[in-house]
Amino acid sequence: MSSDAGARGVKLDRSVEPAPGPIRDYDFPAVDGRSLPNGVRSVVCRAGDLPLITAQVIIAAGSALESDAQAGLATLTAASLEGGSRTRTGDTLAWDLEGLGLELAAWSTWDATHIRVTATTDRIEGALDILADVVRNPAFPPQEVERIRDEQLAEILQRGSEPRGLADDMATRFIFDDRSPYRRSTYGDQQTVSRFTATDTSDFHRTRFCPDVTSVVLVGDIDPDRGHDLVARAFGDWSGKAKAAPAVGVGARSDKTVIHLIDRPGSVQSEVRIGHVGVPRAHPDHVTLLVLNAILGGAFTSRLNLSLREKHGFTYGVRSSFAFRKAAGPFSISTAVGTEVTGRAVEEAFREVRTFIAEGPSDLEVANARDYLAGVFPLQLQSTEELAGRIAETVVYDLPTDYFQTYRESILAVDRTTIMDASAIHIRPAAMAVVVVGDATALMPDLEKIAVGEVIREGAGSADSVNIHGSEAGQHGG
Amino acid sequence: MMVHIPFERYEMQNGLRVVLSRDTSAPVVAVNLWYNVGSRNEKPGRTGFAHLFEHMMFQGSENVPEMAHFSLIENAGGSLNGSTWLDRTNYFETLPAHYLELGLWLEADRLGWLLPAMTQAKLDNQRDVVKNERRWRVDNQPYGDWDERLQMLMYPSDHPYHHSVIGSMEDLDASSLEDVEEFFRTYYAPNNAVLSIVGDFEIDHAKSLIDRYFSAIPSGPAIPPIPGRTQLGLSLGGEQRVTVEQDISLPRLYVGYRTPAYGTPEFYTNAVVAQILGYGKAALLYRTLIREQRLAQDVVAYAFPIVVGASMLVLWATALPGVALDDLERAFHAQIDALQSVESRDVIRAVSLIEARHLSDLQTVGERADQLSMYTTLFDDPARINTEVDRIRAVTVEDVRAFAARYLIAGNRSVMHYVPKHGEVAS
Repeated sequence: MSSDAGARGVKLDRSVEPAPGPIRDYDFPAVDGRSLPNGVRSVVCRAGDLPLITAQVIIAAGSALESDAQAGLATLTAASLEGGSRTRTGDTLAWDLEGLGLELAAWSTWDATHIRVTATTDRIEGALDILADVVRNPAFPPQEVERIRDEQLAEILQRGSEPRGLADDMATRFIFDDRSPYRRSTYGDQQTVSRFTATDTSDFHRTRFCPDVTSVVLVGDIDPDRGHDLVARAFGDWSGKAKAAPAVGVGARSDKTVIHLIDRPGSVQSEVRIGHVGVPRAHPDHVTLLVLNAILGGAFTSRLNLSLREKHGFTYGVRSSFAFRKAAGPFSISTAVGTEVTGRAVEEAFREVRTFIAEGPSDLEVANARDYLAGVFPLQLQSTEELAGRIAETVVYDLPTDYFQTYRESILAVDRTTIMDASAIHIRPAAMAVVVVGDATALMPDLEKIAVGEVIREGAGSADSVNIHGSEAGQHGG
Repeated sequence: MMVHIPFERYEMQNGLRVVLSRDTSAPVVAVNLWYNVGSRNEKPGRTGFAHLFEHMMFQGSENVPEMAHFSLIENAGGSLNGSTWLDRTNYFETLPAHYLELGLWLEADRLGWLLPAMTQAKLDNQRDVVKNERRWRVDNQPYGDWDERLQMLMYPSDHPYHHSVIGSMEDLDASSLEDVEEFFRTYYAPNNAVLSIVGDFEIDHAKSLIDRYFSAIPSGPAIPPIPGRTQLGLSLGGEQRVTVEQDISLPRLYVGYRTPAYGTPEFYTNAVVAQILGYGKAALLYRTLIREQRLAQDVVAYAFPIVVGASMLVLWATALPGVALDDLERAFHAQIDALQSVESRDVIRAVSLIEARHLSDLQTVGERADQLSMYTTLFDDPARINTEVDRIRAVTVEDVRAFAARYLIAGNRSVMHYVPKHGEVAS
């Protein structure tokens, strides 16, 4: 213990952690949403103190709309927007944007396609014109679509030899059953993607990118009225109606815990995924599960990380998460551990999960996790792009426009009992898909020794060569 | 659009340099420390030690119990981390503004009173964690050792950048508690550190808190010079080539050029060149190797902001299936040669992108604090947070052409071919 005189002559006792000062209010900035006559939703949020505005277009068209034969098409369509519009070649589009310092990001998720640009305030009108052109009038020139398709195929190939991507893809395949789109990769696979042409991206765009399923979010240095005017000018004269979206069904592949061992000979480390079907974004337990997950494996000081990293030194890190989507996405634990400790690490992870469900967290753990989540919330909203991302979440999942105004209160209301009730339902150690990508010969004896579940040695180490749904992708039809 | 970040800078009696920048737009505060020590300072046989030491800084100190550093900050609703690089080690947390004092107490305790809390068990645990980090980043990752291999080609064996930040397994194994103590006493002193605070606080209050927690920490001895050869000629003196067989699907080309160190006027040309070549969909290599010729799946270009002797411009391109790496390399060099007759619109595009990203980065208090610490540590000049972009704007098309003609030539480059094992090339 060390003590010394402080600045004002007061004895400083360093052994006592300083108390916090008076708490300062944080309010999520006001969000103003309106609908244009053609169905486009305009959402404007004034925020930040720099002359920056992020414009993000959100279209309710993602990978979940694909048939099995179309796996990877939403990803390809979003990527192919860079191919240009009816009035701009791809190269012209790139110069028009980047000459002004603008970077266009386009990506799709399971539930939506997002196109985003961040501009200085003086350039927002021009940026919105280009954004609208990209969203409304893409040309999908065959040469460009085929190029981007080939890059996507190369990416799929790369993921198959990259242990982290391979483990992620294998985990979803073993978690979800044949009717679940989520068993696929959003990149698709070699069979589906190699068949795509510019006609496929054009059709996807024509039937899915329509004003009635589109929202435009503006965040930053902008007055709401002016923001709505700008959105109306860029998107108000767009017409069309999106094809009805199919309902997404999701189910588990197995009701018992099985270890799937994928051989990657000579690996010095094993990529491990442990998971099962989770819950949809709209589930009433959503906020409870955020707090639960922070305690179990979401925070650095979570039970799993303190055990596997700080106590045992098995890993550089371990995290758990619920992927919240329109339908139930996966709950999964993800880590990479040394080959020689893989069996012990898997066993230890299961022990932590079982203990957590049986005994629940302490009141102190719950209070700490609530404070953590409520505290880091504003830290993660300092940029216009982070704010736009949160507002996009309200758009995609039909949450109230003012949802995040009361978010911190919702988190602070979670208690130990609700977490225990939720963990009993939503975390099921007896029905986990365990994926281990590593040196199978070295790992097999240890994995068989631990009493976690049957060990199945899967085929060669490539996502494409492991056929677990037993049918050609194309047979499901589109 | 110009933005001016206000700041106040001073130096304490013990040599700690402090930079304060107030921004009340959100109730958050960033506390950021840079120590002027990185892997460049490691002695032979102890590669990776600066990074292992960084891990030990999170294991508690005299008044901070084991694991409390993480838990106190997370429970306060803050985020934290540290990182080690060739030239420096940084530690940072972003906190709800009313927890500023907590951050300062934690940082001061490990700067002043780390050693009483060190144990062999903690070292053994973090050594295992770091070895797993190496496996995760390098040994079990396709192309994961590229920077380690490239540094060996680009810097002579007695230069401090010859070895990687993560270090070797055997050197990690050899590290002892005595090494921790020696490293701490040598490099972790207020006179070798910069403390930056950015966010919602009162300047006078912050000053009194900093004084309260840091003034009792004594200044350390003079920092020893960086070991090894620190001066380098600005030519590699001949092309270096290596082929690496790995468990990968697609061949990849890496090319490094020796270039002037960060801080020299030519470094800003180097940064602009990297943007021209590899950043964005109108980048020279994107529009040729990817869009027109369909040889590559991706291209990346990066100017290393490092200060000892010489920097590197590093580029890589992954071959599409069916493309031979030799063909990709030939096309690549043709474009590098074309840079000697680059047009001004390429320069304007590059400068515009850097300007825009700079402004966007300044939105977070953590990034502002890190930049203030960086400019103070490397150049003793925090004002560069506002003036660095001017150095980028000053780069002309003639500068780019001259840079390409002088540095981006065969005799000044290292080339690495990563190829699938057993000569298997996917098609």
